[in-house]
Amino acid sequence: MVEFKNLTVTYNQGLENQKVALEEVNMKILEGQFITIVGPNGAGKSTLLKVILGEVKPTEGLYMIDGKVMNNMKPHKLACFIGRVYQDPNTGIFPALTIAENLIIASKKGGRSMKFSKVKEEAISLLANLGLGLETRLKTKAGELSGGQKQSLAMVMAILSRPRLLLLDEHTAALDPVSAQKVMELTQRINREYDVTIVMITHNMEFANAYGERLLRLIDGRVAQDGVRDLKTKAVAALC
Amino acid sequence: MAILEQGLIIGLMALGVYISFRIVDLPDLTTDGSFALGAAVAVRALVTGIPAWLAITLAAIFGAVAGSVTGMIHRKFKVNVLLAGILVMTMLYSVNLRVMGGPNLPVPRVVAEKSTQSFEEMSGGTGLEDLFGELEIKTQGRALKTGSVVKNIFNNDLNGSDLLLIIFIISTVIILLTIILRSDPGMLLRAFGSNPSGIVAFGVSQDTLAVVGLTMSNFIVGLGGGLFALYSGFSDATIGQGMVVTGLASVIMGEILLGRVKFFYGLLSPIIGGVIYQTLLSLAMRYGYRIGFLASDMKLLTAVFIIVVIGVRQISTSDGKRKVKQEVKRLWSNSKISQ
Repeated sequence: MVEFKNLTVTYNQGLENQKVALEEVNMKILEGQFITIVGPNGAGKSTLLKVILGEVKPTEGLYMIDGKVMNNMKPHKLACFIGRVYQDPNTGIFPALTIAENLIIASKKGGRSMKFSKVKEEAISLLANLGLGLETRLKTKAGELSGGQKQSLAMVMAILSRPRLLLLDEHTAALDPVSAQKVMELTQRINREYDVTIVMITHNMEFANAYGERLLRLIDGRVAQDGVRDLKTKAVAALC
Repeated sequence: MAILEQGLIIGLMALGVYISFRIVDLPDLTTDGSFALGAAVAVRALVTGIPAWLAITLAAIFGAVAGSVTGMIHRKFKVNVLLAGILVMTMLYSVNLRVMGGPNLPVPRVVAEKSTQSFEEMSGGTGLEDLFGELEIKTQGRALKTGSVVKNIFNNDLNGSDLLLIIFIISTVIILLTIILRSDPGMLLRAFGSNPSGIVAFGVSQDTLAVVGLTMSNFIVGLGGGLFALYSGFSDATIGQGMVVTGLASVIMGEILLGRVKFFYGLLSPIIGGVIYQTLLSLAMRYGYRIGFLASDMKLLTAVFIIVVIGVRQISTSDGKRKVKQEVKRLWSNSKISQ
């Protein structure tokens, strides 16, 4: 689905404070995979996600989706089939809008003329499954929810927007252990039931071991480890 | 009554400020220029003989164009929205002088329906035919049809007879805005103001929403400017000075008064705030001299009021309260040491 060929990203190129964030990254993300990306701070994890989203343009190399080069594609166009949830619960939702309005925007992603009534049932059942009682508070402003509730809402919005690829950047980091667990379970459901490819950045090795079927370790902008994980034995078989 | 009328018109302008500052969350300073542009265009249109209703529509449209220019400078050239607003506001100062043909322009009561005649009409031939000055220019007997009255929509008699019309215009604007904000595009606009980067994740361009938001805002400001000029009977190059601050003060006053009541997406708060602002202004002008207050001090007070409200809001947050307590404690202990 997504492919990088010799992808290099250099910040402030030609300036004194030039920094190579990603260096000759070669990898393929296959449809339906659940990939976890781990690595120390400054390893290039978030830059990789930003390249996928079109927010950072590759300095060298190719970024392709379904064989088509996406190097200069605008972020809002790429967003039509890529969903994302970040660490800060406020980034994935619209605090000034009600829960219902947030869900409507998600269901109409990319100018889709989908009627909310068609997805309302699904949205409510997804919210009900979380057990946070959000389904009864559709008229509540999203900004009034707790961090865990906001993040759960963001995940439900991500499902309703029907992405092919979902990018998660430490999306459980700001949550308490119980909320984090619930959000992770929902993440796995999105991958399995909705067949959405997931790329998740995490510092939580417990989650990385428990959920990711493929583990990518980045160090200093280079792929240090890329392997398929056997979820039972938790051993990583090297891909490269 | 005149205060109420003026306050409502100022409130309409503040509604434009509310859209930029509160709904799309872009602090737009074009307002000062687009208000004056609205005023200039409306009066110029009236002078040209265009009906008053069309004149205020033109004022709004020109205001909208100014807003869209700010939006495009901001988004396409990645210029900070404050600077983009200042640039357009500065440009508009010159534009307004050109539109008015001078520093000010009064609303005409009576104008010539046809005050000029073309060369062709006077000479009976084109300029090319008159290359050698053979045609006789008929300047004699040129009758100007004067006396056709350009009807202003306002009576300008300051006895409240214009109140219903102003309320009608404002109600129409609020109803239309509510419908727009409730629709899908309007929801996106509110979402953009609430989380600008988040909107990209749902496949919508920030550029489009920013331009649309600023266009809408300045459409209303331009309309306010046009109405203000027709109501006051003149347009002036400095008519828009300090309008952003006035608008913001009205928005804040309205919000304080209405609190968390959010009918019509809070669109009523700037209108009510505008009336309060105008009332305070006229009270200050009427009785302020007793305490040495001049009408010209009002802008200073308005800005101080905004700073105080922002300061109080900052302190009233729990984090702010804690900081103030710490500061008081520190000062208290320091004073004991110094004793």
